[in-house]
Amino acid sequence: MKLTRRDFTAGLAVGITAPYAIRSARAQAATLKIGMCVPVTGPAAEQGLWAQNGAKLALAAVNKAGGVLGKQVELVIEDDQTTNPGIVLAFSKLAAQPDIVAFLGSIRSTQVMAMAPDVLKLGKPVMIGGTNPDLTHMGNPWLFRFRPNDSYSGRVIADFGVNTLGKKKWAIVHSTDAFGTAGGKALSDALSKLGAPPVLDQGYANQSQDFTPVVLAVKQSGADVLGTYFTFENDLGIFARQLRQLGVTIPWVGSPSVVAVSSTKLAGPALYGTFGVADYAEESGDAPRAFGKSYRETYKTAPDIQSAWTYDAVTILSAAINKAGSTDPTKIREAILALKKFPGAEGEYNFDQNGDGLHGYNVVRNEKGMIVFDKHIEFND
Amino acid sequence: MSAPSQNMPMAVSATRPKPLLLRHLPYFAGSAVIVALAATMQFDGYVHNILMQATTFAIAVFGLSVVLGLCGQINLAQAAFFGVGAYAVGLGTSDYHLSYWLCLGGGCVIALLAGALLGMSTLRLGGHYLAMVTISFQQIVTLVMINTIWLTHGPDGVARIGRPDLFQSSQSYLAFCVAMLALVGYVVWHLADTRLGRAMRAVRDNELAAGVVGIDVFRTKVFAFALSAVLGGLAGGLFAGGFAYVSPDQFSFAESVVFLTMSLLGGVASPIGSAIGTGLLILIPEWLRFLKSVPGLYLAIYGLSVILIVRYMPDGIWGFFRIATERWQAKAKVHAAGLALQLTPATIGGDIVLAVKGLAKHFGGLKAVDNVDIEVRRGGVHALIGPNGSGKTTTLNVLSGLYKATAGRVTLDGTDITEMPPHQRAAAGLGRTFQNIRLFRSMTALENVVIGAERPGNTLIGAGGDDALVKRAMSALAFVGLGGRANELISSFSYGHQRLIEIARALAANPTLLLLDEPAAGLNSSEKVELHALLKRIAAQGLTILIIDHDMTLVSEAAQHITVLNFGRRIADGESLAVLRHPDVVSAYLGTE
Amino acid sequence: MACGKAINNRRPKILLPGISMDLALQLLFTGIGIGAVYALVALGFVLIFRATNVVNFAQGEFSMVAAYLMVVFAVDLGWPYWLSFLLALAGMALLGAIFNLGVYYPLRHRSFLPVIIATIGASILLSNSVLAIYGPQPQVLEGWFETPGIQLGPVYLDSQYLLIIAVTIVLVIFNYWFFEHTMLGKKLQATSQDKEMASLLGISVSTMIMITFIYSAVLGGLAGILVAPVLFVSIQMGSTIALKAFAATIIGGFGDVTGAIIGGLALGIIETFGAAYISVPYKDGFAFLVLVAFLVFRPQGIFGERVAEKA
Repeated sequence: MKLTRRDFTAGLAVGITAPYAIRSARAQAATLKIGMCVPVTGPAAEQGLWAQNGAKLALAAVNKAGGVLGKQVELVIEDDQTTNPGIVLAFSKLAAQPDIVAFLGSIRSTQVMAMAPDVLKLGKPVMIGGTNPDLTHMGNPWLFRFRPNDSYSGRVIADFGVNTLGKKKWAIVHSTDAFGTAGGKALSDALSKLGAPPVLDQGYANQSQDFTPVVLAVKQSGADVLGTYFTFENDLGIFARQLRQLGVTIPWVGSPSVVAVSSTKLAGPALYGTFGVADYAEESGDAPRAFGKSYRETYKTAPDIQSAWTYDAVTILSAAINKAGSTDPTKIREAILALKKFPGAEGEYNFDQNGDGLHGYNVVRNEKGMIVFDKHIEFND
Repeated sequence: MSAPSQNMPMAVSATRPKPLLLRHLPYFAGSAVIVALAATMQFDGYVHNILMQATTFAIAVFGLSVVLGLCGQINLAQAAFFGVGAYAVGLGTSDYHLSYWLCLGGGCVIALLAGALLGMSTLRLGGHYLAMVTISFQQIVTLVMINTIWLTHGPDGVARIGRPDLFQSSQSYLAFCVAMLALVGYVVWHLADTRLGRAMRAVRDNELAAGVVGIDVFRTKVFAFALSAVLGGLAGGLFAGGFAYVSPDQFSFAESVVFLTMSLLGGVASPIGSAIGTGLLILIPEWLRFLKSVPGLYLAIYGLSVILIVRYMPDGIWGFFRIATERWQAKAKVHAAGLALQLTPATIGGDIVLAVKGLAKHFGGLKAVDNVDIEVRRGGVHALIGPNGSGKTTTLNVLSGLYKATAGRVTLDGTDITEMPPHQRAAAGLGRTFQNIRLFRSMTALENVVIGAERPGNTLIGAGGDDALVKRAMSALAFVGLGGRANELISSFSYGHQRLIEIARALAANPTLLLLDEPAAGLNSSEKVELHALLKRIAAQGLTILIIDHDMTLVSEAAQHITVLNFGRRIADGESLAVLRHPDVVSAYLGTE
Repeated sequence: MACGKAINNRRPKILLPGISMDLALQLLFTGIGIGAVYALVALGFVLIFRATNVVNFAQGEFSMVAAYLMVVFAVDLGWPYWLSFLLALAGMALLGAIFNLGVYYPLRHRSFLPVIIATIGASILLSNSVLAIYGPQPQVLEGWFETPGIQLGPVYLDSQYLLIIAVTIVLVIFNYWFFEHTMLGKKLQATSQDKEMASLLGISVSTMIMITFIYSAVLGGLAGILVAPVLFVSIQMGSTIALKAFAATIIGGFGDVTGAIIGGLALGIIETFGAAYISVPYKDGFAFLVLVAFLVFRPQGIFGERVAEKA
């Protein structure tokens, strides 16, 4: 219940300040504006709050250091309602304000997909967190990704399992939603390249109440390692428990949800000893450590990926505009793409021509309920 | 009640309606202005998207106003039909590079087929089953959209959806959608006053009565359902072109509930209400952003409003306003009566109009009617009597097709009607009234009787044009003495008058045989006298009547021939007075002591 | 999309090639377990339908609310499990009463359509109120037993599922005894069969309907509490179960208690085996396909008699 009240007040604060921020911004044109589409309502409202926390933390740091182009930076927040039509509306509302120079988009790939035509039409840079590899490969020059895309998570899971754990007989279990399907495919492709094509590739529908058939399939397949892409923690929890109950003990390397705090809480011992990829791991470097410290000081709670990517997005966007010396979209784009070895909360950013900033993942381990950093795997291509 | 003056032939003095299109000119003019505004006004992208969403959603909600508002059938899969149209346009234009128009048409056809098939397989069941089947359909469509990745791209959705060359710019496309909205709105608005629309309303108000007056209830429901589906498909196709991107979560069950709520909020029965509801439910979430900062709070209020609307505003916002304004409008008094009612019952068969042979109806082990023979002679009043529970009403229900006979044959005017559903029996010339009056309660007396006059096979309405129907209905109302109150709603009539309207509805159909189910029940003594007189006037026109009643005075005075049932079996049959003195009849009524 | 073809090649394959007895037994146990959950919720549907001729679309939310009440009492407040259990059920009885007074009773003289829509509204209201209060994170509720389950030869028996199956059996017996051998049960039966007749016999119809709503809310709540340790406590837990339970009700035959139980079990088994031998992602589709097949070919269900409209 404690959690709820905090959410309530924080949410209320956003609801009250957001329109105020818009109004006050019109009064004093001396600020530089960044638009942000974020779920304030809908199923991901809570994650939306974390995303705002991350962005605001970075914003405070940027403004304290003198702002951008001599102006204070301001966030204009618009609710995307966690839906695709919602983000189209939210983005069009922001896009209609000509003084917004750049935007933060969504962490959900389908939402980015939905807003992409409008982004192309508008022609201003949009920072995104959606991890579907296609997003930066569909000829839209204005999308810049602040998380490693799923082809990297798949490659990291495959690389870690095959080269570090030495396992070659893979079973893949993935959700049939956008995230799970893309991830499962990336993992399967990466395994094939490593000469270890999966022996089982099993999709499941979200909100399944029972995973016995899936677990039995894993058991039957004779796999010696399991790779997973789960979307919802309760699905993951049910699956993990049934997996252990039915005596499957093979090593398990999963997408970030395996090592998410909420999954650890739900599934308990069933997830002990599992490996997961994580784009944000506090112990992976100095910049992540610094971010973690400052986040904890401000919000009295541990940060996670939802806040790490928006933090990096605001920080890097501000740095890029400063370097470009202009708010001209093309110049901002060039400045972002020119960034090399930029230390961020999630790791070292090296933007490629597609707009992908990160090219590797951290592998972390569930050590009796504690998430500990294992190793970082980076790709150069 | 039946003052002779009201039955005198009178000229129709009501203002003759102008041609339909001319009368509706203001509507088209208004629509043209709005389309022009949509095409020329400068909006920013946000307003544009809101308008685009509202316009396309409203078309889908119009579909609901047909199926739910006019026909009273629930459809919890409108988002699925919307999705079918959207995916047809989306996949067709982006993957297969087909023409937009072809895709839009194709989407409508697929939605139509899906709706018709779904309707045909389940509309016989109705009610809760329909609710459940539409939910199932909705879930299956969602599953298919997500999982058939080779076709639908799965959860990634479809991007880069095309528009017609003519409407490439967002603004012109919006204007095009608004024009479609106006067109669909006109069709839906006008539909209520067509034969099909009246049939739908009749089915909604009283399914049994609709069947008995000659409406093919099942076909009407399937039409309504298919029409609703096709409007959903059309709306979806327009939506896809407008937003250039679609994905499965936009067409989920939750969206179906949103469509339903839009329809309920505005007023389910009218397109204006649908438009109001759609507009409000797209705008309110935008206004109530502050509520949405607590996840769930907004939707909780949404759910609560649904309950409150259903309870306190059953006709939605528009219905609420209409009722409020109607009080201020003077009722259009009808001073005109039609021509004197003409009844020309068909005479194809011989002397016997209705022949019932060995009729039986068993409910499980209970033999409600068992081996009953009845012969009704042409041109008289034949009574079917018996103590309570003797099987009279069951017999009538089997005769009119509401129950299926367990055994036996029923022949009406030489046609074997044993296997026919109610509406076909009506077409064959059977008319009836009900013991517990079954009128179409949301309609006026005139509309009720017009539906009666519309009976397929009625030879007295010419080609069935509106004028002929109204004339026929007016004369039937005048015949029962209610010509002056034709435009009043059923609820404003007394019980006795409602009974007369029901008789008028049956008479307007010009039946071969009229079944009256306890017409005197609930009438006071003076009304009974008038009823008796009415029966005489009907019989005088040569129409045969089969009457059930408890009132022995009425029966003995009106009927020339009586059949008596007890415990489901015929115990006496013959000329009135003789039958009433029959010892078995006396003991059945008085008990044996 | 460029990846369309590639994904196509790796569409889910059929699982478990050879039929193995051990696996089939394991699937059967799970199927019966999950089926028993459907059956419990279906029972609530049937009771309300028999008493009021209305399908309560908020039945699943009863289960969800009860599970959250358990979380409040047993986890947040740390009260003993049995006490929390009784309090949660008492809370459900209260909710059933409020539901009757607020949603059903004012509309009792209207047609079924407004009532259906009102129950849909109630379902949205309940699930989102809980969301507003508790947030979207799923919660954990411990099971009744310390031991998670037992290994019986090749089959692993989850202790919570064993409990659910046992409770279902007890409830079948209880319902039979209650409706056939107690005065209150007989009065309820009489009310559901013929309201006019019942009121002529001096039975207070509105009291009987009230009791029915309370009883079915408690039943739904019981199902929610029992299933919570297996499925976790989440906002969606009710609606997903309720849709299946509704399908079970139709398969079993509306208005028939035994039918609801058999329908629920059948559905659980069909789903589990369908997922194992045909397709996992379409698992939810099987339930609905079976449902549509029943509606088309045998709308009266396995047991039920088709309800004819009265003229």
